Amino acid sequence: MPPRLPAGCSAQLANCLDQSLICTAQRTATAAGRPSWPSPTTQQTSSFSTTAPRELTVKQRRFWNWMRKGLGKSLRNPKPDGVNYLGSVIGSEKSPDIPFPNNPQFRSSPVLSDTARERIYENVMKKGLPLKAVSARHGVDMRRVAAVVRLKEIEKRWEAEGKPMALPYAKAVLSMVPTHDCLPDSQPFEAINEMHVHSYTQQQIFLPTSESRHFTRADAAKAFGDFILPPEKKMWVPELLQFEKDVAGGASIKDARVRFLETTAQSEKELGAKHAEQDKIVRENNTRADTDRFQFRFEAINVDSSGKNGRHVRGVGWRYGMPHNDRKPGAVKIPTKVE
Amino acid sequence: MRFRRLLRFHGLKRGRARQTWNKYNLFNIASLKERRLDNRTFFQQKWEAKANTRAYHGEHIKERQWERMFSRRLPSVVNMDPRYLATDDGSSLAKGRGSGLASQGEKHTKIPYMNMVYFPMERRLDIAVFRALFASSARQARQMVIHGAVKVNGKKMNFPGYLLNPGDLFQVDPEKVMTATGRPRPSHEKKYVAHKKRVKAEATEGAETVAVEAEEEVEEVTPEAEPLDEDAAKKASIKAMREIRERAKDVIKAHKSDMSGNRKKALRTLMKEARASIAKGQKSGTPLEETKDIVKQLADTFAKLELTDEQRREKEQQEAKDKEPEVTLTKGDMELIKREINAELENPYDPSKPYLTPWLPRPYMAPFAFIPRYLEVNQKICAAVYLRHPVARKGQAEVPTPFSSKFNQLAFNWYLRRG
Repeated sequence: MPPRLPAGCSAQLANCLDQSLICTAQRTATAAGRPSWPSPTTQQTSSFSTTAPRELTVKQRRFWNWMRKGLGKSLRNPKPDGVNYLGSVIGSEKSPDIPFPNNPQFRSSPVLSDTARERIYENVMKKGLPLKAVSARHGVDMRRVAAVVRLKEIEKRWEAEGKPMALPYAKAVLSMVPTHDCLPDSQPFEAINEMHVHSYTQQQIFLPTSESRHFTRADAAKAFGDFILPPEKKMWVPELLQFEKDVAGGASIKDARVRFLETTAQSEKELGAKHAEQDKIVRENNTRADTDRFQFRFEAINVDSSGKNGRHVRGVGWRYGMPHNDRKPGAVKIPTKVE
Repeated sequence: MRFRRLLRFHGLKRGRARQTWNKYNLFNIASLKERRLDNRTFFQQKWEAKANTRAYHGEHIKERQWERMFSRRLPSVVNMDPRYLATDDGSSLAKGRGSGLASQGEKHTKIPYMNMVYFPMERRLDIAVFRALFASSARQARQMVIHGAVKVNGKKMNFPGYLLNPGDLFQVDPEKVMTATGRPRPSHEKKYVAHKKRVKAEATEGAETVAVEAEEEVEEVTPEAEPLDEDAAKKASIKAMREIRERAKDVIKAHKSDMSGNRKKALRTLMKEARASIAKGQKSGTPLEETKDIVKQLADTFAKLELTDEQRREKEQQEAKDKEPEVTLTKGDMELIKREINAELENPYDPSKPYLTPWLPRPYMAPFAFIPRYLEVNQKICAAVYLRHPVARKGQAEVPTPFSSKFNQLAFNWYLRRG
């Protein structure tokens, strides 16, 4: 049988074997007499390696200094009285609400505290105030008011079901972020009349007009484009405009408020009626069949709505010979909405 | 291997900012410095800005994918005061030569558009989960989504790349959130080391007691030689003490195998005390009263220890029952107790959980704890609503980015792909 290892290698191996034999011999010799084990001091440093442990690099040393003696030590745990961000200590613009010292334009804005959420929920669900009125009263965006109610509803349901909630987590997080209580006399939580800047309005336009012309916001909107709306028409709570007009016209704030409440309640009622009407139409066009597990809904469909080539959006079903595009490579399967 | 990858991810050498709550990352963000870029070519400047900002904003997302998401149109809002809208029709802004009569010295706060470069990223489900403080890193949030712990509008969504629509409600399994944001349970290794230490301590203690017992046996001979002119009563007390000690010894011997460590320890201390008292009582000049008291105390302690664990527990309960009517609590005390009990119920010790109990937030969480305004979060049920897309307003941008406007602008220029 030819040697499995090259000649040089086998020589090395033999050498190595010899060494190990010698080692065992020594070991047995010592074992026969009184074994002389290394003293505890020598045993603690590795008996296999004589290389010194790697020193820390400059950056590592700087890091550990920062962690043990420097700023890192104070950032380890949340402060008992409030937020604990980097920007309060370092950065060009020191402020307690800046988490990233290089970016003073990003601030940690307050979140609604649990009492504030509870208050909003009570105003909407128990007192039955219109969303718009609650939004204007606390200075909380309409969408946020709706979200708070939605989330509170789930929370109450879980509470009734006895489902375990992340209570210690909630307590810890709300102690780490700035919070807002929405008290009757406190500052508004956020600006509720913010408007999206349409890209058409970001251009400069040269518009010749007479000096005597009374050029208003509505005229400016029209100059930017036929379908650009003036800010008055883009408000989330347009009833606020009438409220301010009443106040400016000399009405007492109390009266103006009463009128505001009435108009907002009316608008909400109208919106509800509109939705109910739409639902009714859908229900009339659908046939429903209840089984023990599912509800089957049948909708009246027009075959011609698929168009000449069968690809129209309104078309349903599949036409013979038409390839599906959803199996093409690179087609994204991630849903774009969940209802 | 995993550890090495983690170290490289948060390496101090390159010092990249990442979307995590890691302490190395905190140090890297704190020491981010605006490097001098003006001595480099424009391409180099853009490259550096792109590389660093992308290392933070969705580094787990492929570059091509991000390029498709990028939009040069950066969203912003302006606040229109209803009072101003009601009282002014805007014609004052068209006065003069058509640009208003406002004084020239008026300072305008700009809208920091450039901080909004990565706003499309914030729409992604995984990044929104991280921003809502439900995960300690964007990658962890991504894993939560993939493992099916996240629901969108009540339906399981396992695509981390799902782009949230305004009004979408996403919720994460509270257990997963507590695991991700809480302190880890001590590892087996740590537990083993602690156990070893305890065992070692007990062993050394045992050896000491053996030595003490040996000493005692030697000493026991000496009392025979004591002077006989002592008071008879004193002698009787000393005898009682000795008896107690002997009985304690017998109890230890009899229940050696089934006795708890604490009880063994207590009995040994009792024996030691008895020995010391005997020595003290033998000395001339110790008042008789004191010796009697000591005997009584020792007898009481022994009576408690002599019983088995179960018997003792029963006795203690009985005693507590007897004592109960004597204790009168004020209203404040009751409230305090109630609060304490509630806190205990809310955050109990439970070794079956995958995190350390009672739950505590992980270290270095506070500097990263902020919730952007485009999310409304309910921490109790670990659910949040994506209200709207992030926007920029005067002097403020809602995309959380650790980089300055200038640096972000260079990255924006990179993605514009125009010279």
